[in-house]
Amino acid sequence: MPFKLAIDGKPHSLTILARRPQLVVAVDGRRHVVETVDAAGDGRRALTIDGAETGFVRAETVEGALLRIDGRTIEVRRLDAATEASAAGSGAHLVRAPMPGIVISIHKTAGDSVRRGETVITIESMKLQMKLDAPRDGEIAEIGIREGEGFEKDAVLARLAAPASEG
Amino acid sequence: MSRLQSAINTASADFRRNEAHNRRIVAEFRERQEAARHRRPQRDLERLDRQKKLTPRQRIELLLDPGTPFLELSSLAANMAYGGESPSASSIVGIGIVSGREVVVRADDPTVKGGAWYPLTAKKIVRALDIAMENRLPVIHLCDSAGGFLQLQSEVFPDRYMAGRIFRNQSILSKMGVKQLALVFGHCTAGGAYIPGLSDYSVIVRGTGAVFLGGPPLVKAATGEDVTVEELGGADMHTSVSGTCDYPADSEEHAIEIGREIVSQWDRLPRWDIQREAPEEPFYDPAEIYGIVPDDIKKSFEMREIIARVVDGSRFHEYQPAYGTTLVCGFANIWGYKVGILANNGVLFNDSSLKGAHFIELCNQNNTPLVFLQNITGYMVGREYERRGITKDGAKMIMAQSCSRVPKFTVMCNGSFGAGNYGMCGRAFDGRFLFSWPNHQIGVMGGDQAANTLAEVKANQMRRNGSAVDQAEIARLWEETRKAYQEQLSAYYATSELWDDGIIDPLDTRNALGMAISASLNAPLGPPGYGVFRF
Repeated sequence: MPFKLAIDGKPHSLTILARRPQLVVAVDGRRHVVETVDAAGDGRRALTIDGAETGFVRAETVEGALLRIDGRTIEVRRLDAATEASAAGSGAHLVRAPMPGIVISIHKTAGDSVRRGETVITIESMKLQMKLDAPRDGEIAEIGIREGEGFEKDAVLARLAAPASEG
Repeated sequence: MSRLQSAINTASADFRRNEAHNRRIVAEFRERQEAARHRRPQRDLERLDRQKKLTPRQRIELLLDPGTPFLELSSLAANMAYGGESPSASSIVGIGIVSGREVVVRADDPTVKGGAWYPLTAKKIVRALDIAMENRLPVIHLCDSAGGFLQLQSEVFPDRYMAGRIFRNQSILSKMGVKQLALVFGHCTAGGAYIPGLSDYSVIVRGTGAVFLGGPPLVKAATGEDVTVEELGGADMHTSVSGTCDYPADSEEHAIEIGREIVSQWDRLPRWDIQREAPEEPFYDPAEIYGIVPDDIKKSFEMREIIARVVDGSRFHEYQPAYGTTLVCGFANIWGYKVGILANNGVLFNDSSLKGAHFIELCNQNNTPLVFLQNITGYMVGREYERRGITKDGAKMIMAQSCSRVPKFTVMCNGSFGAGNYGMCGRAFDGRFLFSWPNHQIGVMGGDQAANTLAEVKANQMRRNGSAVDQAEIARLWEETRKAYQEQLSAYYATSELWDDGIIDPLDTRNALGMAISASLNAPLGPPGYGVFRF
């Protein structure tokens, strides 16, 4: 299966052609032979690409890795269908009630901008207080309920504004 | 497997408040554990020294392979019983490595009332032997006990799961081909004498070790015979005359050396072939769990954030991410071992119960052990949900879970209230191991709810009897009920009564589960199949 990688934000495709005796990959259709030279104990590593030795340091991130090569930091992210879909923010502009209950407090009002994971409303149901968070970064378009009011499961309690279209 | 993405802000006020709160709770747990493990009256330690005996923890340290971990179980058993005079229920139990084999180590504690068995001591030993049976782990008994605590004999001796069960379990273990070794350091009196008697191998220390059904005072009272400990049940008599013990040893260290050599003769049976990958540390720092678990049992939290700090690489393959969202289900690896995780993100509804039952069936079909992360206030109540059959959907989950053939592990991460405890593999459901975090609370309902319910019942009773509702009486009942409930809801009470296999620091969850899963692989999987699901 070919991979898609975002290297410093730009998409590239990568296919593994062979693993043995050496790793052979095609990056955007160009073939390269890769050999690992060594991994020094201090985190520095080196490999040869088409015969030329390249040293680098690698640190993992949530979605990929940061590489340090020749004094320059390069961000590599794996692009898969799931991350591409979530970057497009598919369908995620509703804050729904996961359980029937009542509203304890409302933390945002229409027009506020929110970050993904920021609490919009706190509810209580079956002895449990629960924070309902923004599903993505955006702006609150509407809060559909008041403090102290009750609601059914799956009721829409808040709505985010549709994302402004890019470019 | 893709990595979970944390939405936790470690700089937020909430995070910091939770962190301070949970660090305080864990510090208190550590303090109590330290006291139970090491704090003893000076005269008891001096007596041990005079007898040239080691403490039970020194014995265990000598027994285990150097540099290997020891998973101690129920270190705070009996912490709220007998006025606290039986730390760890006068008994140390754990899983460790001896001569390269995973074993259950079980030690009497002669620093407390001569190692006498309290009722909860018997319960703890029976549980240790149940663990040995369920996981086919050999057992090493470190014997040094005066016998049953006579003042409480009615709670130690007669019933099915009391002391007799220890010897029954020993016999069944031997029949199963699971080895047992007894190292006799002190006295094995009365019932305790059967521990070496029913072990496949036994070693006894000259001078201090003794095995007899009745000690010299009891013999004197019964028959008038005058006899010394050595003559009656000492090392030389038992290893050269009666054949009750196998090897004499000149010191405790010598006995442990012989014991380690015996264990190294034991065959190693094949473990079942679980799916395994190279282990990987969680991507997110497990210490952040302290900032995630709220400072109030009533506040919920995102269980995926906990999963991300327990599993390998914080990687999680979530099953049915959009259905029955109050139960998070999915596959992950812990120390490389493939597991199926079920974790509560709210009350169980019809859809979450069905999803749970289905996921359990998938794991059974895939030979994947189950890990339950409990934070549950119950199944949903109300007319709408009864009409949709919340009871029968919950029953499906309980059925699938009860009949599982794969090993099950439960971690009490916060609340465990009502029937949700059952569906999520509570103590009654034969999970291989059950650990609790120190913030855990457990009960059929919360303290406030119980007090409200009883107050309501009482008020109705007064109305029915035609008398006026006595508000002061109701208030008194409410307060009393709540207080009694609150004490019994705590993790300390639960672990005191051995409703779990011990309280653990949340940061140790990954290691405890790793050792528990590894231990579980020694027993073959049970037969597949379920009872009748109600559709």
